Amino acid sequence: MGEERQVMIETIDLHKYFKDQHVLKGISVKIYKGEVVAIIGPSGAGKSTFLRCINRLEEPSSGKIYIEGVDITSPRVDMNKIRSEIGFVFQSYNLFPHLTAIENIKLAPVHVRKIPEKEAEQKGLELLKKVGLEDKAHAYPDQLSGGQQQRVAIARALAMQPHMIFFDEPTSALDPEMIREVLDVMQNLAAEGMTMLVVSHELGFIREAATRVLVLADGCVIEEGLPRQLFNNPQHPRTKEFLSKIL
Amino acid sequence: MKTKNNEALKENCLEKTTWKERYGHWPWYRRYEFILVSFLALIAFGFALPRPGLPETLFQWLFIVFYLLLFLVWAGLILIDVEKPNWIKAIAATLILSLFGWLFYRYSGAQWDKLGYAFFNWKVLSETGSYGSTVTGWAELFQGLLITLQIAIFSAIFGTILGLFLAVFRSLNDPILNAFIIIWVDFFRAMPIIVLMMIIYYALPYLNITLSSTVSGIMALSLNSSAYISEIFRAGIESIHHNQVEAARSLGLTTMQTMRLVILPQAMRVVMPPLTSNYVAMLKDTAICSSIAIMELLKTAITLQAWKANPTPLVAATIIYLIILLPLARISTVLENKMKSKGITRSIRRQPKAA
Amino acid sequence: MQTNQIRQSFYQRYREKFGHLPWYKRYEFLLPLSLFIILLGIFLPSGRPSNAIGWVLICTFIFIVLLWVVGVLTDVEKPRWLRAIAAFGLIFVFGFSFYRYSGARWDLFTKTFLNPSMMQGAWSELLLGLEMTLKLALVSMLISTVLGLIIAVLRSFKNPILEFFLIIYIDFFRAIPLIVLLVFVYYALPFLGIALDPYLAAILAVSLNYSAYVAEVFRSGIESIHRAQVEAARSLGLRSLQAMRLVILPQAVRVVVPPLTGLMVALLKDTALATIIGLPELLYKGIQTMIWKANPTPLVTVALIYLLVLLPLTRFSSYLERRSKKWVKSAR
Repeated sequence: MGEERQVMIETIDLHKYFKDQHVLKGISVKIYKGEVVAIIGPSGAGKSTFLRCINRLEEPSSGKIYIEGVDITSPRVDMNKIRSEIGFVFQSYNLFPHLTAIENIKLAPVHVRKIPEKEAEQKGLELLKKVGLEDKAHAYPDQLSGGQQQRVAIARALAMQPHMIFFDEPTSALDPEMIREVLDVMQNLAAEGMTMLVVSHELGFIREAATRVLVLADGCVIEEGLPRQLFNNPQHPRTKEFLSKIL
Repeated sequence: MKTKNNEALKENCLEKTTWKERYGHWPWYRRYEFILVSFLALIAFGFALPRPGLPETLFQWLFIVFYLLLFLVWAGLILIDVEKPNWIKAIAATLILSLFGWLFYRYSGAQWDKLGYAFFNWKVLSETGSYGSTVTGWAELFQGLLITLQIAIFSAIFGTILGLFLAVFRSLNDPILNAFIIIWVDFFRAMPIIVLMMIIYYALPYLNITLSSTVSGIMALSLNSSAYISEIFRAGIESIHHNQVEAARSLGLTTMQTMRLVILPQAMRVVMPPLTSNYVAMLKDTAICSSIAIMELLKTAITLQAWKANPTPLVAATIIYLIILLPLARISTVLENKMKSKGITRSIRRQPKAA
Repeated sequence: MQTNQIRQSFYQRYREKFGHLPWYKRYEFLLPLSLFIILLGIFLPSGRPSNAIGWVLICTFIFIVLLWVVGVLTDVEKPRWLRAIAAFGLIFVFGFSFYRYSGARWDLFTKTFLNPSMMQGAWSELLLGLEMTLKLALVSMLISTVLGLIIAVLRSFKNPILEFFLIIYIDFFRAIPLIVLLVFVYYALPFLGIALDPYLAAILAVSLNYSAYVAEVFRSGIESIHRAQVEAARSLGLRSLQAMRLVILPQAVRVVVPPLTGLMVALLKDTALATIIGLPELLYKGIQTMIWKANPTPLVTVALIYLLVLLPLTRFSSYLERRSKKWVKSAR
């Protein structure tokens, strides 16, 4: 069935060194359009690094990365263009503190996509409505709670109408009562058919929304499969150990 | 039996009550007796001070300084003590201040009767000014002030542009450019402004580069401040967390867009306080331009004083400087303190003008 | 319709072959631009331009070079050699256009600016000047530090009356430009019967001026020690002077030394201002010899001496400040 589906991301033998530390040890994965792939694994496994390598916030040391068929490790590629097609949601929200929520959202559409200011504002307001924050449009990030900030960050990523969104532990910096509101937004996105790559340990979310789970340990993909299958019947001993700790 | 015993004990104690127990266990130097006695001793000692007028021998100088220090120690002992009532502290403080004033009055050798005539002789300024001028001294001083402000504004503009330019290029982290910029910054930070000004004004003409005194002054000031301002901007840029850059880049903004839309607006807030104090320092430094004969405030005052043989213009100029600079210095201190309380202490200051 | 498709596919093929970089980062753009820059460089006026067009041409040239350099340097992908060329190119273009268009007679450079024969008999004068500069600096450093320390200690008593006068003192001497103070002390005070020679006047002005800054540095040092430290010391039964000597001062020194060093370096720098009241220090001697020899070599030498002395010192003081920042951070 995979034949006709468009490959969104393909990495081939991706390696990453930090000085003499070998963080990613040859990762090869294919991610198709509309998939919601969850990446789990113990801390220090290289999950975040993997995500950041794919849109080259970190430079991969070797290996190839294709995004929609374009080899982005080539020096000829316009990384900014590629990045504008990939939404990225950070663990620490990283909203721009000198701009209001709506200004945060329309910054990139106006300056990268060159969309007229008014149109961008219109779209931004729609997005804010979508994440349930239409009344906070003119609030500055430090006037918002963590969960609200993260939802604005998701809206900011969506404003570029990306082909895929990466989530780098979007809920791990949040207080427990705020996690739900962010996960709801993410679940809605998944239901709309957005291609998503999520580093998260929210097993409830993964079970409901993810179409596939990758288990990363020590820089390698040690196991992958459907969430239910993987959670109920893990094969690799490291997976078993890890799941027993977080379940 | 017990009560009797107790009473006996009490009596025993009363009998043995020492002076110390009754009057407290303070060390000797904190007791009122000592303070009073030493005060009287100091007063008596004061009669041994030399006669009014500029002291002639080194010994007399040392004697006066020693007396002052002794008094300071005496007052310090009172002021440092939490137990002493406030009125005694107030008396001690007033005593120090008035002693200081009195010693200065007596031994500075000044002829105080001339004070009004020499320093506050405003008539000198309301007459027509220096040689060949048709306006009053006040008007000349005002013109000087205008030139001072002009020089300050132009130097601030050029210095800021140059400094921002250097800082942005520095943020590209290119080793070759960095080396060059570091040399530039170090050179102009180490070079005294007055030397730079003299070189530009007196030495460059020998190379056939003849600049007017005003241009030389502005050039020296802006080159000097460009070094400080670039350091300020660099600190501002570096104070922005790398997360912000990543967030901007992940949205597809280019390096320069990230700089312009995300980093600089945030850096501005960090940069504002040290930048303000830098501008205040620069306004102060314009006075150095008098050394290359620019008719700014100080030079005008010096010329007027020479012409009128009366220092009132200089006093007036000093007062004008104070009126302008005192509030500005206060504002910049307040801004910096505000910043510090927010936990942002990355301020590269132009030493020492804004300590 | 079909041509459109073909055109698009041609474009796509072209893109795949030559990359998706934005126009200003592409080699197709940078290469012609480099050629254009070289061409323009050939046609630039060879001397100081006499009309506005020449200046406009030069400014355009510099601007285009700047564009080229920024295009290369903001791109992480560009090979290192190209970035090096861009960096050197930028410095070269600035240096070269200054060399060419400042109107300077560079053939006179060694004769006027670096002429060893003009230094004959001047060295002893300059050394005398340097000695005077150092003497002035050292004495003023000593006096201002003592004065500043006294003021800071007096302020730490928190007595409102003292505080009021000391703040006035500090604000006054911080707000007034040193050169104005120098002129005032040397030219105005004699009218009151206080006639100081230039040396004493310089010492007085510099010390008063810097004592205000030093006082602030010491005060922030004393205040930087956390209140809890004082309370801990007092609860151990230390008296306030003991607490000061044993607990507060040793800690405060670490906070105070870096900014104090900076101040002292600045003081040394500011001694050059004493020229204006005719104190025969380094700069004054330099100017005198320049006039005597009718050649600026002595003045240039003086500038070099200042650099030689002050460059290591400014480096050292900013190193200290950076280190103390780290230390303060780690202590929290």
